[in-house]
Amino acid sequence: MEQFKKKFLEEAADLIAGLEKALLVLEENMDDKSVNEEVFRIMHSLKGGSSMFGFHKMDSFTHNLENIYDLIRNNKLKLSREILDITLEAVDHLKILLENGDELSKSDEKTHNELSGKINKITQNIQQSSNEPPAKAEAKTNEQNKPASDNLPAVDEIPTYHIIIKPFEKIFKNGTNPLLFIDELSSMGHCKVYAKTGKIPLFDKINPELCYVSWEVFLATDKSTDDIKDVFIFVEDSCEIKISKIADINLPAKSLFVKDLDNLMRDDDFCDTYKLKELAKTVVEKEKPDDELELTKAKNVTSLAKKTAINNIRVASDKLDNLMNLVSELITTQASLSLYAENNENTELTSIAENIEKISRQLRDNTFEICLIPIDTILIRFKRLVRDLSQELEKEIQFTAEGTETELDKSIIEGLTEPIMHIFRNAIDHGIESADERLKKGKPKQGKITLSAFYSGTNVYLQIKDDGRGLDAEKIRKKAINRGFISPDANLSYKELLNLVFLPGFSTAAKVTELSGRGVGLDVVVKKISDIRGEVEIESQLGVGTTITIKLPLTMSIIDGLLVKINETYFVLPMTAVDKCYEVKTEKLQNNFNNKIKLDENLVPYINLRKEFDIQDNMPDVQQVIRVKHEDQNVALSVDNIIGEYQAVLKPLGQMFKDLEIVSGATILGDGTIALVLDSGKITNTFDRETIKKREEVLKAKIDRENLEKS
Amino acid sequence: MSEEQTTGTLTSYLSFKMGEEMFAADVGKVLEILELCPITKVPKSPSYMRGVINLRGKVLPVLDTRIKFGLPKTEDDVDTCIIVLDVNMDGESLHLGAVVDSVEEVLELGKKDIEPPPSLGNTFNPEYIHGMVKREDTFIMILDVDKVFSTDELAVAKEAAEQKNREEKIEEKKAEKEKTETKKTEKAKK
Repeated sequence: MEQFKKKFLEEAADLIAGLEKALLVLEENMDDKSVNEEVFRIMHSLKGGSSMFGFHKMDSFTHNLENIYDLIRNNKLKLSREILDITLEAVDHLKILLENGDELSKSDEKTHNELSGKINKITQNIQQSSNEPPAKAEAKTNEQNKPASDNLPAVDEIPTYHIIIKPFEKIFKNGTNPLLFIDELSSMGHCKVYAKTGKIPLFDKINPELCYVSWEVFLATDKSTDDIKDVFIFVEDSCEIKISKIADINLPAKSLFVKDLDNLMRDDDFCDTYKLKELAKTVVEKEKPDDELELTKAKNVTSLAKKTAINNIRVASDKLDNLMNLVSELITTQASLSLYAENNENTELTSIAENIEKISRQLRDNTFEICLIPIDTILIRFKRLVRDLSQELEKEIQFTAEGTETELDKSIIEGLTEPIMHIFRNAIDHGIESADERLKKGKPKQGKITLSAFYSGTNVYLQIKDDGRGLDAEKIRKKAINRGFISPDANLSYKELLNLVFLPGFSTAAKVTELSGRGVGLDVVVKKISDIRGEVEIESQLGVGTTITIKLPLTMSIIDGLLVKINETYFVLPMTAVDKCYEVKTEKLQNNFNNKIKLDENLVPYINLRKEFDIQDNMPDVQQVIRVKHEDQNVALSVDNIIGEYQAVLKPLGQMFKDLEIVSGATILGDGTIALVLDSGKITNTFDRETIKKREEVLKAKIDRENLEKS
Repeated sequence: MSEEQTTGTLTSYLSFKMGEEMFAADVGKVLEILELCPITKVPKSPSYMRGVINLRGKVLPVLDTRIKFGLPKTEDDVDTCIIVLDVNMDGESLHLGAVVDSVEEVLELGKKDIEPPPSLGNTFNPEYIHGMVKREDTFIMILDVDKVFSTDELAVAKEAAEQKNREEKIEEKKAEKEKTETKKTEKAKK
């Protein structure tokens, strides 16, 4: 039972997410019948599942909700924004109900009652009003329990499925009521049900805990086989279900067929599909004697339906983590094998090692892919946020998303939601102006926020762009001076000024609102993003808008790197940063007063890693210089030797080195020695003279400022 | 039950030597003892961090206990080894290696064998010492492993700590002096 319940919880969470999504789509186009239909369907499945697994509150709650959408579906109620608001609130509440079951905390209980009241009011209103023109409407309301197909136009062209439901005798033990499925099936379309009661023993031999009945259902519906299968999703293991398509036309609507069928069904055995198809064929032939093509098609589809295999499976995420760890270990081991093969000149061994290297690389890539999930999955939360906030602040905002199929490692996605929410909140609260203000400025009334995601190299970029008022660099400067972040005479570029907003304790909004601007601002975003090895950049034009770009690594655990050596220590530089390698005489690096070196006719600032890392022994005559990119800037790093390309399995250095920013981790080489993975960006920030100089200026200005204040 | 009682009163300690001084650590904190192996130095790390080693696929930070304890540095020899410790740092368990001159023996000590650290005249900071045990002519200092290795300070030797304090104070004074001077000049400007 527990296992079913778990499955239900997972499914229900998905359903709720789907519901939220569908509702937001519905909001954009309120008249879209098909979306409304979907909303109804999802609620219906939720209701079924929740009653089956003892979520009684959820059951009655969704039942009432469902009623609303049933009314809308039958054109008895017009969908309004008000209804959508309540429904979305209800969706949030459903999440709570799902989590807590029937035991709610006091405050949740209160919202439960409030919401239920609101929902009932809607349906009551409509039922009362529908009583006024009594004749037709009343009849329809009463029809609610009848098959939905009665309300639909009697379509002839919908396929008919033959469904055999054969519950195992013990099905009652886990609380399943098979009749619910029949109900649900009958709501899907035109349907004819036959119960097979032949197995019921004599009265004195009946065991009330066992199920003796099975059913045969003929269902004409426009839903697919998968949709029908979904009905049985929670009982797959305790029922024998057979679904086959027998014709492309609505057979239960044909009296001829039903008559024959009634005869057939007197028999207690299940009809075999072949017989039914023959029967269908004769019906079809009698109805439309010429159309043989249709028939063969029907046959083809049946065989296709049989072939339908499982395309997706659900895997617990810790299993994936495990797989990832194993792959990491494999790659480490493979590295030692390759090294061993290299040292033992055995051609056979070498070729095996090479093969293993190739395969493990593929395995690595595949495993990464498995762990990737599209950004789409978190999008719904942002949509919701934009919607709720824009309403609250009475701003009209249109939210669009591009490149949502872009995939990221699941651990990164997990860490990403919160900071992005924060950025959105900022954009909506401070960025986008009110409608009046926008019109005055000659901008369209509706504000626009775009989230776009795209790949570039081994990085993923996320851009959040708004067309709001933008950042005022002068205001930032004044504020920074005021707060003592920079000195009044500091000469900062536009970009540097903008970057000041990422400093802790910096908030530009003049007034503090409930939503954002409490001083815990963008610095938290930066911190969170850098926790997942990402970087944040800001661009803005006053009056035009702001763009925040988040750069993220594709994965967190294995990186392609360049293995280099300084004296006895191995280092790995991330391949993404490496641009080009050069060979330079050591003396050229040493006798250089402004730390610039000429590479390919360009003067590039360089960082002598030997000097910075304080390594003096075994100075070579010739050093290798690696040009790396960092924030549109080229910096050269000098090392003793370049060993080659290397797949580094990142291992954390741990608590003891948590303040050491320039090393992002360690990796174990084939022979067991440790190589340190360097963060070239942080190295540039820490050692590049010009960068440091600027930072010192800022710091000095701050101290001066403080001193001034004191005196 | 009876077994628990006997082990409850007697605790095992691993003793090790640093120069002429003997120290001991609760065996429960010691995971294993390794021979000295090549240690990868991590640039820009504190001086007492010797670097990292590969312990069966895991990266283990290694401290130089001599520097940490404020003792003079010596060359490594055959007896030098690494004790792998399980240290509790801010409520989290953390594994680290400590390089010591030599490992001596495992002592079984009862509570009454351990004397509180004398508050006067000892060269080591009593904060990090659990107690002292007299063995033949020498005293063995029982370390509070969690405290010693989780602080950022190099602070077991009191002298070293005091020296550091003194230096810090001097620096503070200097800074203050500078501040007052800048204030003065600023005032003068005004």
